[in-house]
Amino acid sequence: MRRGSVVALLGLALIAGGVATAVAIWPTWLPVAASREAGRIHFVIWFVVVICIAIFALVAAVMVYSVLRFRVQDDDFEDGPSVHGHTGLEITWTAIPFVLVTAIAIVSAIVLSRNDAQAENTLRVDVVAQQFEFTFSYPDAKNVTSPVLRLPEGRSVELYMRALDVIHSVFVPQFSQKEDIVPGLVTQLHITPDRVGTFPLECTELCGLGHSLMRSQAIVMKPAAFDAWLRQQEKSAAPAPATTTTSTTSTSTTSTSTTPSSSSAAGLSVFNSNGCSSCHTLSAANATGTVGPDLDKLVSYAKKAKQPLTPFVHDSIVDPNKYIEPGFPKGVMPETFGQSLTKTQLDALVAFLVQSAQKSGNK
Amino acid sequence: MTTTATAHDTHHAPSPTGGGLRRLLLGPGLLRGAWMFVLFGGIGFGIVVLIRWGAGWDPLLATEPLVLVSALVAAPVGFLAGIGAFDYWTYYALGYPTRAEDHSGHGAQSWRDYFRVNTDHKVIGVQYLVTTIFFFLAGGMLALLVRAELAKPGTQYFDQQTFNGLFSVHASLMIFLFIIPAFAGLANFVVPLMLGAADMAFPRLNALSFWLLPIAGIMMLSSFFMPGGAFACGWTGYATLCSQHQPIGAIFFNQGVQWAGASSIMTALNFLVTIITMRAPGMTFWRLPLLVWANFTTSLLVVIATPFIAGSQFFSMFDHVMHTSFFNPVGGGYPLGYQHIFWFYSHPAVYIMMLPGFGIMSEVIAVFSRKPIFGYRLMALSLMAIVVLGFSVWAHHMFVSGMSSWLRVPMMITTLLIAVPTGIKIFSWLATIWEGKLHLRTPMLFALGFLSMFVIGGLSGVMLGAVPIDIHVSQTYFIVAHIHYVLFGGSVFTIFAGIYYWFPKMTGRMYDERLGKLHFWLTFVGFNLTFFPMHILGTDGMPRRVADYLPKYADLNMFISLASFGLGISVIVFLYNMITSWRFGEIAPANPWRAMTLEWQVTSPPPIFNFDEIPQVVGSPYEYGVPGAQHAVLAPSKAREMEEVPV
Repeated sequence: MRRGSVVALLGLALIAGGVATAVAIWPTWLPVAASREAGRIHFVIWFVVVICIAIFALVAAVMVYSVLRFRVQDDDFEDGPSVHGHTGLEITWTAIPFVLVTAIAIVSAIVLSRNDAQAENTLRVDVVAQQFEFTFSYPDAKNVTSPVLRLPEGRSVELYMRALDVIHSVFVPQFSQKEDIVPGLVTQLHITPDRVGTFPLECTELCGLGHSLMRSQAIVMKPAAFDAWLRQQEKSAAPAPATTTTSTTSTSTTSTSTTPSSSSAAGLSVFNSNGCSSCHTLSAANATGTVGPDLDKLVSYAKKAKQPLTPFVHDSIVDPNKYIEPGFPKGVMPETFGQSLTKTQLDALVAFLVQSAQKSGNK
Repeated sequence: MTTTATAHDTHHAPSPTGGGLRRLLLGPGLLRGAWMFVLFGGIGFGIVVLIRWGAGWDPLLATEPLVLVSALVAAPVGFLAGIGAFDYWTYYALGYPTRAEDHSGHGAQSWRDYFRVNTDHKVIGVQYLVTTIFFFLAGGMLALLVRAELAKPGTQYFDQQTFNGLFSVHASLMIFLFIIPAFAGLANFVVPLMLGAADMAFPRLNALSFWLLPIAGIMMLSSFFMPGGAFACGWTGYATLCSQHQPIGAIFFNQGVQWAGASSIMTALNFLVTIITMRAPGMTFWRLPLLVWANFTTSLLVVIATPFIAGSQFFSMFDHVMHTSFFNPVGGGYPLGYQHIFWFYSHPAVYIMMLPGFGIMSEVIAVFSRKPIFGYRLMALSLMAIVVLGFSVWAHHMFVSGMSSWLRVPMMITTLLIAVPTGIKIFSWLATIWEGKLHLRTPMLFALGFLSMFVIGGLSGVMLGAVPIDIHVSQTYFIVAHIHYVLFGGSVFTIFAGIYYWFPKMTGRMYDERLGKLHFWLTFVGFNLTFFPMHILGTDGMPRRVADYLPKYADLNMFISLASFGLGISVIVFLYNMITSWRFGEIAPANPWRAMTLEWQVTSPPPIFNFDEIPQVVGSPYEYGVPGAQHAVLAPSKAREMEEVPV
């Protein structure tokens, strides 16, 4: 190889590498890291990106140089030099990539093991995913449940996740952590949030009709604020299923003697915590989902199904495929609500839906 | 024709004679295919109804088993029998005199012969390519509809189920009905010629393999017309979504994959036997053109891996239709089992979609650089290395699936190691170009485009192989970007290179060079503008397979959608060039590229049995620049004389 070609090659490699580096630095393509795990993963990404830029620059330089330098016209009938190979070169380009990928593997394995290591005093959060909603609960705090994931800053958190119907997935881009939630298994995900803020939480595994709307939020709070929120939730959660710690008899009395207004509040909370709003429209709950039928029109649906309103609503929740409103696909609504809701919750939900449907039907 | 045309025995029955209409209805052909399609469908329907009635099952007319048995299994078998795919075997098996093999079903005299069961590998190759390009257009249209919906956040044109169906059918058509069979089509045309053989080892099996494809493709497309819409669980069809929670369209995917998979397996067996047993004298394995090596290794992958996807789709369909519990946890099933079986096929399938392209690249780059392939033996061995390693990396698709976490590091190591043989190939091609005499004709442009795009796809593959990075970007648009750089920038560019390269040999006419170059530049620019920004969307956290997305991703999505329409326009240039050149193009000489491999040593298009006399192979196929070097000695014939004509 002549000296001139080496210089030209180097120049081209620098240009290609410079362009690639500019592309890597200029747009903000990585979200802000909001967990310790994300910090380590970003390090691996940059480590590999640097290697990739070097290889890309090399290949691009050789190719561009060859096209510029070795191009001939169509009427050139000469052949190139009959070079069949070069053992030294072939060994080099087997060995160097081998070393590079080994380095990547080692860095990755170290980061992986550190990211999965739980610290002491790890907070446990149970996650239940179903079409198309997440429910987060805190077993250490009397199973307070929440439709958004609230976490304290700086504390190691382990999610224990179950799915009721199909495979879902939890991903918060700012945490860089992701794991599928598989029916029949309990999968785990470890996060140590280190930045206060509100981040999008998405289902990233195709889970059916409403998949793209299966979103929630992860809210990272100062530890004191988190504890305050948890304590407040424990208290406000108490009235509905009674004061939990005392006796079960009080539970039954409260639920049977509910006044209309309190039953509608209980029904609304069941509606909200079971993800109904991600698919259904219901003005009483400010829900605007369009995947399933509009629940403000329940009165007319029941007429079409030739059933009285209350049993129609009940059956449609427990056995959704019994009557399918024309224009909506069958088999989309989960068939698990009959098991996952308690009888009290179910009755409250039915009462709430019947009540609000009658209201909007009378308008 | 001393070696190929043999005398026929007298135990053959005379060809059927009789009235025109009788012959039209009863003779093999599309018309008999049509009525036998209906007849067999009816028989399938009857069997199901009879069993249900006998067993007293309610409802008598259960939709799913009826559609499955009648429309998806029995009717296609009737169609195949009708067009005559089984005629010879049926006569033979039943002890009737077989019809004389007068080669009436071999070769094409008019365009009508392309719509019949034909046993000529060259006709089958063209049938494959035209069919797969049809499904490429269909799949491309679906992709443009997907991009139209994604141009803005929120839902505009399609409801969610339809949208999920659009991208699912798009991917299934592109993978099972375009990339895999397009390579099979190119190889069908070229491999026997390169080997110095008269045809494939099993010509009737070859014909059957082709006719399974339109069945699979039409099945997948027709799922759009089913109640509840097309299958909408992605081309990966994960349990339990696909096996329990989908409308009837899902079984059109399950069963369509079976037909396409059966076609793949039969073709691969045919290639293996052809390559092992039908090489011309002197054609040792170390003298095989690398395209033949590539199809040899690909066929090994297909034969070993494809039965696994067949199994996974059967199990998923049984869960759906017969309520078995292969993957249903309530009945003791294991949803991740589906993914393990599926990816045990579908990762090797990535190489099934890549290795034949590597073969095309080696041919094109050597010929248009006028240099021998750099490191021929290492190129062949790296193909074998990819085959072996390819079976040990499947779980890298499952790093975040919830599988046993110890499996991640070993699978990461094998995944990263596979970059080494792939790197060897890239560097060897670069070394082949170095100091060559580069002729930048359209096939070479696509080859160079492939090299640069595949490097990007390969590097993003290394990123995905590292588990911590995969945890961040898997299931996001980064995956969409990666797979398109590998399968579009990789496989599809090589298919285009192959089509332009062998177009003169297949049609006997030259394509339009200026339109070819225009097609390349439109594709290259449109491709990068469409797919590169997807990397950024992905690392920033936009999930794939969504109809709606957060507003912050809106600008880039609009940009991508506009670019994708430009990419769509490039295909029109390609089609126009192919159609007009096939009809009116300049007559092609036997060897327009001055290539050494055997297919260029015969006329364009080749004679019906390829070689007047089986050639004697005497050297390597890539001895460009070696004075007096020859790959093979052919009997002096018309073909040989034509080769002497200066181009």
